[in-house]
Amino acid sequence: MIIRVGPASFVLHRRTLLVTIGLAALLVAAVVVAAGIGTRTVPPLEVVRALLTGGTEHDVIVRELRFPRVVLGVVCGVAFGLGGALIQSVARNPLSSPDVIGVTQGAGLAATIALTSGLAYELVAPSALAGGLLAAVAVFAFGARSGFAAHRFVLAGVAVAFALRAGIEVVMSSAESIDALRAQIWLIGSLNGRGYEEAGAIGLVLLLALPALLWAARALRTSALDDDTARALGVRPAARRLGAGALGVVLAAAATAQVGAVDFVALVAPQVARRLTGAERPPLVASALAGAVLVVLADLAARMLLAPTQLPVGVLTAGIGGPYLVYLLIRRRR
Amino acid sequence: MRLEGRDLVAGYEERTVLDGLSVAVPPGRFTVIIGPNACGKSTLLRTLGRLLKPRGGSVLLDGAVLHDLPPREVAQRLGVLPQAPLVPEGVTVADLVARGRQPHQRWWQQWSPGDQAAVAAALADADIAELAARPVEELSGGQRQRVWIAMALAQQTEALLLDEPTTYLDLAHQVEVLRLLERLRDGGRTVVAVLHELNQAARHADHVIAMKDGRVVATGAPHEVVTEQLMTDVFGLACAVVTCPLTGAPLVIPRP
Repeated sequence: MIIRVGPASFVLHRRTLLVTIGLAALLVAAVVVAAGIGTRTVPPLEVVRALLTGGTEHDVIVRELRFPRVVLGVVCGVAFGLGGALIQSVARNPLSSPDVIGVTQGAGLAATIALTSGLAYELVAPSALAGGLLAAVAVFAFGARSGFAAHRFVLAGVAVAFALRAGIEVVMSSAESIDALRAQIWLIGSLNGRGYEEAGAIGLVLLLALPALLWAARALRTSALDDDTARALGVRPAARRLGAGALGVVLAAAATAQVGAVDFVALVAPQVARRLTGAERPPLVASALAGAVLVVLADLAARMLLAPTQLPVGVLTAGIGGPYLVYLLIRRRR
Repeated sequence: MRLEGRDLVAGYEERTVLDGLSVAVPPGRFTVIIGPNACGKSTLLRTLGRLLKPRGGSVLLDGAVLHDLPPREVAQRLGVLPQAPLVPEGVTVADLVARGRQPHQRWWQQWSPGDQAAVAAALADADIAELAARPVEELSGGQRQRVWIAMALAQQTEALLLDEPTTYLDLAHQVEVLRLLERLRDGGRTVVAVLHELNQAARHADHVIAMKDGRVVATGAPHEVVTEQLMTDVFGLACAVVTCPLTGAPLVIPRP
């Protein structure tokens, strides 16, 4: 589908557009349902009224107890989905998501050190952010020697991730057990007891990243081509890989720093979006929406499945996202 | 358009493949690079096509240093078809050929009528118009090769460099591709191809560059380069060169 305005023209793929609209509608529905279900269930229409106009008997439950957590789910899902889509696109490899190439582990190691060394709690998130970015710098440094060749990048990432995970074990086993427990809880990743403050921190990063995201959306159009073919078309593959990769790392690290290691979203959301749209690489907007839907639904399940016990959302993102991806893979074979 | 390499030094990691090579591509002609395996043919083509940055010397495009020009501008003037490109998953023929328009597009101008016309012409020239809606993954090797050539054609550059464009093709399709390259030359474009088949090089080229061990051994018209002495030297194979009864071009026959 081509949209022409005078000399300007824009290309929209019909299927991508439909899938994106569908995912957006699904996200709205998921938000309303998640804000409604709980120990006291509020019907969807009441949820919408409470959110839009207020003045209902459910205002406190919906607006103050549940909605902040749902918003955090949406925002961190968007960040993970975008981060995963960017890194997977530049590495041309679905396995190269931030939780595989060391970003999550870097953030985890830094948070573990912060939590077990008695650092102020306010410093845990900044430490985690710094840790995630440092891990990415190490991966990029290894990858840089080969002009950021796609496979070296992934391999370096996996190596760094394993080394960091070993580091986490070392710190954990030498820490006081109460500190180790706190670190363990952080590592699994949860939206429990978190809300607007964390959502605002991630949202700010997303907002600042918006111009870069617009650049990336165009730069990645040829990312499915190999480097020589891309170069022949006037693209600079190494610069693009560095730019879009760094952007993806920043988004994923920013989200991880706030909510902990919510595994698998950055890996699975872009792949789900890619398979739904039939595109050759993960589409950015659809990946962001898929990430948000996944986290919101997973967090709802995490709250309700063993209520009143709350499961960490990270357990459920893998539990829901994994089988769905397998389903999409099987369906495609037929 | 004038394309030349001066004192080129190029290679990969520790290995130097080209060491002080100079070469000029005659404008508006069909040039073929020949030589034994691993003699640096592809390295030369990749260096001339801006895919590989030389460690020493320079490639000049109309007198300007190629690697200092903006990549986009180069891609509007110089098309390169690498050897065995990777086929993106799920992409259709028309989509892939449309990628050739990348250097001509802007973020606010993603699909102009000019793009449409260029892609349609490229599909027709490569004789794959009827495959337009098919996924590239499903095509045979020969069809894929023509899709890649169509992508380079859609780029509408004055010069076109191709690395072994006839590999994977059966004889009929090889001849078809070579005739297509001749037509492009007749239309005024500069065409450079790496070819393995000496007799095709001798028959279709206007200008032959023979290479051995990273050096240019001889350049000139086919009958000047494709001689018994030179072919025996370059390929280390005793052979006879006779005149083709149909075209008058030199014909290389290995001695029994």
